[in-house]
Amino acid sequence: MAERTRQHFADELRRVEAQGLDGLDLVVQQLDRVLEALEHQDVELAAMVIANDDLIDGRYLEVHQGLLSLFALQAPVAGDLRIVAAMLHVMKNIERMGDQCVNIAKTIPLTGHEPPVREEVLERILRMGRAARTEVGQAKTAFATRDVDLAEDLVRQDRCINLLNREIFQLAIDVGTDPDTREWAMHMVMVARAIERIGDNAVDVGEQTAFVVTGLFREFSDSSHPQPQV
Amino acid sequence: MTNSETMDDQRTTPEGEGAPRAPLPTRADGAATTTVLAHENGDVQQAAPGISISNLQAYYRGGAHAIKNVSLEYAPNKVTAMIGPSGSGKSTVLRCINRMHEETPGASAEGEVLLDGQDIYGVGVDVVAVRRAIGMVFQKPNPFPTMSIFDNVAAGLKLNGIKGVDLKQRVEESLRGAGLWDEVKDRLGEPGIGLSGGQQQRLCIARTIAVQPQVILMDEPCSALDPIATLKVEELIEDLKQRFTIIIVTHNMQQAARVADTTAFFLLGELIEHAPTDKVFTNPGDERTEQYVTGKFG
Repeated sequence: MAERTRQHFADELRRVEAQGLDGLDLVVQQLDRVLEALEHQDVELAAMVIANDDLIDGRYLEVHQGLLSLFALQAPVAGDLRIVAAMLHVMKNIERMGDQCVNIAKTIPLTGHEPPVREEVLERILRMGRAARTEVGQAKTAFATRDVDLAEDLVRQDRCINLLNREIFQLAIDVGTDPDTREWAMHMVMVARAIERIGDNAVDVGEQTAFVVTGLFREFSDSSHPQPQV
Repeated sequence: MTNSETMDDQRTTPEGEGAPRAPLPTRADGAATTTVLAHENGDVQQAAPGISISNLQAYYRGGAHAIKNVSLEYAPNKVTAMIGPSGSGKSTVLRCINRMHEETPGASAEGEVLLDGQDIYGVGVDVVAVRRAIGMVFQKPNPFPTMSIFDNVAAGLKLNGIKGVDLKQRVEESLRGAGLWDEVKDRLGEPGIGLSGGQQQRLCIARTIAVQPQVILMDEPCSALDPIATLKVEELIEDLKQRFTIIIVTHNMQQAARVADTTAFFLLGELIEHAPTDKVFTNPGDERTEQYVTGKFG
């Protein structure tokens, strides 16, 4: 075969992909901060999380424009086309994960300076958060290395998050009759829901990984049809 | 055939449409010569035959093995693009389909090329009739320089001795079919060479379709044209496939992606992959195809 051609395009595609996937590091950073803010009821840190979402939104716009330019100027096909198309999805996932961190941060001032914390709930929330953090990192590695097995493993991890989410929901129902505690528990249900969505977005990134590698899109888990279809 | 299974759904020739086709004439069967081309119904929608090549081998002078055992189905009333780097054999395959390859000194071909089930390399088949049934449009527009626009289109009919047709009507039909009528109807007597490059190429297409072939071969038909003229020819190809089976060789992969129903990728004289065009450009089955269409080599 002749010498490699379109080196500029190959370099640019690699650069845009890396820039996009680094957005997942920004999500991890935001998630770390918001979990810390949640644990210590740190309203200032929560405010910083809200402000820093602009970084993720900016990254989204920048990479989105880069991807559009690649479409318009380089007419990518085959594997290159799949990367560009998948990255459009991944960037949307990153932007949504950033928004979920903001949603969590926004609940922190609402619960007051000394909320009636139930340890069994908070401990589960933090566990969920750490699991989601791992998922986001793993999603990045899976995509960057085109590792479909690693991508599919995200579903296993996401099941743990979903289980914790259901447990928190049940604990919130059983939290008792004190109005302040019930309000706090309601907020924790919202936080758990936001973390659960971050996990779902990480799985979506995994699905895009499989699409890039195989050329076929398939949902790893179908929430509309939870039973495996034969 | 490489990846022939992917093309199975393309093989059925539409039936019950268009005029019945006569067998290819032999040299000894002069009376049948005109019959092969007779499409008397003149309908816009017309079933064309497919082309099937099997175990095609082609050689150039000195035994250079240019085409290596290629088998390929060109579906009727579809556009098949042949892509590949220079020297991959795509143009040689094209020239084997209307027996032009053998006109190259020292060149030869073996194998089977079936037009509507009949071998155009069969013993005694009239080569002129084959080329009339399988028209060709070349890279550079090549109108006859001394002829008017009208005569350029009529030339094919006259040269092939086709009689009994209303020449004016056939010329108008052909120019309309080539999307050129409105641009030239008021100056049919002017020299064809005076048209723009894009118009000249459409004039050549009109000349090709005037003899009512069944298949049109196009060898880089837009490589000498500007983008607007290219666009017009590409739109024309979309229209032409309603009546003809079209095989196009192109270096422009985006053109293949835009106009072709299926795309065949050639490399070093071998057919690497033939699949629906969207598959070739989104998820090719062979790593070499992937490398080529993404520009990793060429």
